[in-house]
Amino acid sequence: MSSTRLLEGLSILVVEDEAIISFLLEDILNELGAGEVRIAGNVANALAMIDSKRPDLAVLDVNLGGDRAYPVAGRLKADGVPFVFTTGYGKSGLDTRWMAETVVQKPFTVPMMAEALRARLRR
Amino acid sequence: MLMPADRETVRYAPVAPLALERIVRSPSSLIDNLPVGIYTCDRNGNLIQFNRRAAEFWGRSPDLSVPFTGAVKAYEPSGEPLPAERTAMAEVLRTGKPVRDREAIIEKPNGERLTVLANVDPLFDEQGQLVGGVNCFQDITELRRMQARVREGRQVGRRVMEAIPAAIYTTNAEGRLLYFNKAAEQIWGVAPKIGEQVWCGSWKIEWPDGRPVPHDECAIAVALREKRALVGPEAVAVRPDGTRVPFMPHPTPIFDSKGELIGAVNMLIDLTEQKQAAAQQKSLIDELNHRVKNTLATIQSLAAQTMRDNEGDEREFERRLLALSRVHDQLTRQAWVWADFRQIAHDSFASYGGTANGRVSVSGPSVQLKSRSALALAMVLHELANNAAQHGALSTPDGHVTLSWRAEPQALFVDWREEGGPQVALPRKRGFGARLVERAIAHELGGRPILDYLPTGVHCTMEIPLPG
Repeated sequence: MSSTRLLEGLSILVVEDEAIISFLLEDILNELGAGEVRIAGNVANALAMIDSKRPDLAVLDVNLGGDRAYPVAGRLKADGVPFVFTTGYGKSGLDTRWMAETVVQKPFTVPMMAEALRARLRR
Repeated sequence: MLMPADRETVRYAPVAPLALERIVRSPSSLIDNLPVGIYTCDRNGNLIQFNRRAAEFWGRSPDLSVPFTGAVKAYEPSGEPLPAERTAMAEVLRTGKPVRDREAIIEKPNGERLTVLANVDPLFDEQGQLVGGVNCFQDITELRRMQARVREGRQVGRRVMEAIPAAIYTTNAEGRLLYFNKAAEQIWGVAPKIGEQVWCGSWKIEWPDGRPVPHDECAIAVALREKRALVGPEAVAVRPDGTRVPFMPHPTPIFDSKGELIGAVNMLIDLTEQKQAAAQQKSLIDELNHRVKNTLATIQSLAAQTMRDNEGDEREFERRLLALSRVHDQLTRQAWVWADFRQIAHDSFASYGGTANGRVSVSGPSVQLKSRSALALAMVLHELANNAAQHGALSTPDGHVTLSWRAEPQALFVDWREEGGPQVALPRKRGFGARLVERAIAHELGGRPILDYLPTGVHCTMEIPLPG
């Protein structure tokens, strides 16, 4: 599967509180062929978006302006939606419960994101 | 009767054998040379005989017939006056029974005091009638003084141990607790019973990973068993109230002058503050790393957006970078807690001629913004200014921008109005600036942006919630 078709037709939820960084994620996901990218800036918005439509894949920033994205991760896990974390902390910044999840370290590139999402979708 | 034994001493005495013969035949001269004071009293307590040493101790040769003692004054060991009728001699003459090792203080006429130890025996005649008493007393002043000095030394040692801020305790060779100071009690959270607890006084000890430390594996037990000083290993004292104190033990075995193990002293260093400082440092580094990585991702995004919207205009990218840098400066000045919106408003025109040239009116009160709102608003206002400079009111000589705001307890209301510029048409494609206004204000800050492309110029209003 080529990178540009990796996410073809998929509805993707991005949970990222910083607007400028969310543009970058949006661009990267579009470049990978995403069908739809929805952006949530906080936990409440993210949960509401999941309620209105179940995403096929999600990209979660761990630190949302002081809050943690774990409630969203828990919800996605319960719904069987694959997701990856993005963070500036690296793996050590994750709570032990989520250590096994795929992490993409900031700043990220298209190949890095493609690699992580491909690995996650294959699981 | 003294003769046979004393013959031995002849060899050492620097006197002629004949002279010695005379001396030893005189009992009083022998008695005078004893290192103890001896005196006798008759049945009524009248002094009838004393040796030279007794006179030395009393500091005088008293008249015979003074009652019970030749001392001018006498005292109990406590310092209370001791009347002659209550002396050991008086007691023996009253009871007919010997008195052993009775301590008293006697005073010489010159005021010097001696501590003496008296042994008084009754004297009986052939019919068994009490006829008097003999007191044999020795000067123990120096002995008592040294004992007091040793006692004082021990107390000083103990006071030093109490004053040391490190926790210290001692055990005997079996590990039984002999002493502990206040700092040790502080670490343990309990005052253990001396002589009962073994190895240490703590309620419970764990390894740093939470496993219990078996009693005979604690550091002082190892030090006593292996007869060597140790440093560590680190452990955690669990207090009865559940609080935990990480500490580093420093047990050292103690040997007597013959090299026999007689006990051990253990010093515990409280590591709580050290651990807290290390944790704080780690959290600071984590936070720094997070901010740096997020800033790098922001710059990466700014570069990508500039590349896309402005065909990679290098100057455009630099101005965006400088806008980010200026708001970082503002936040750094306030320890990254807040920044003043007024300063941010002025700074947004810094790359476009500033605010002092009559082209721009900026008015509003000081408003403290948290770091997140400050960052987002700085980038938004910069994009509005950038757009005005390229397509709007600041792109022609007659255009004017009015930036005003007011703060209410729950929200900041910002008004951006452009006038006098070229006629505005709805842009064909939404650029980075327009998209940023929407997403930063609505998504990131949970506010309400309205961006109008009026024919007279861009008008943008923003309502930004202010967290309480």
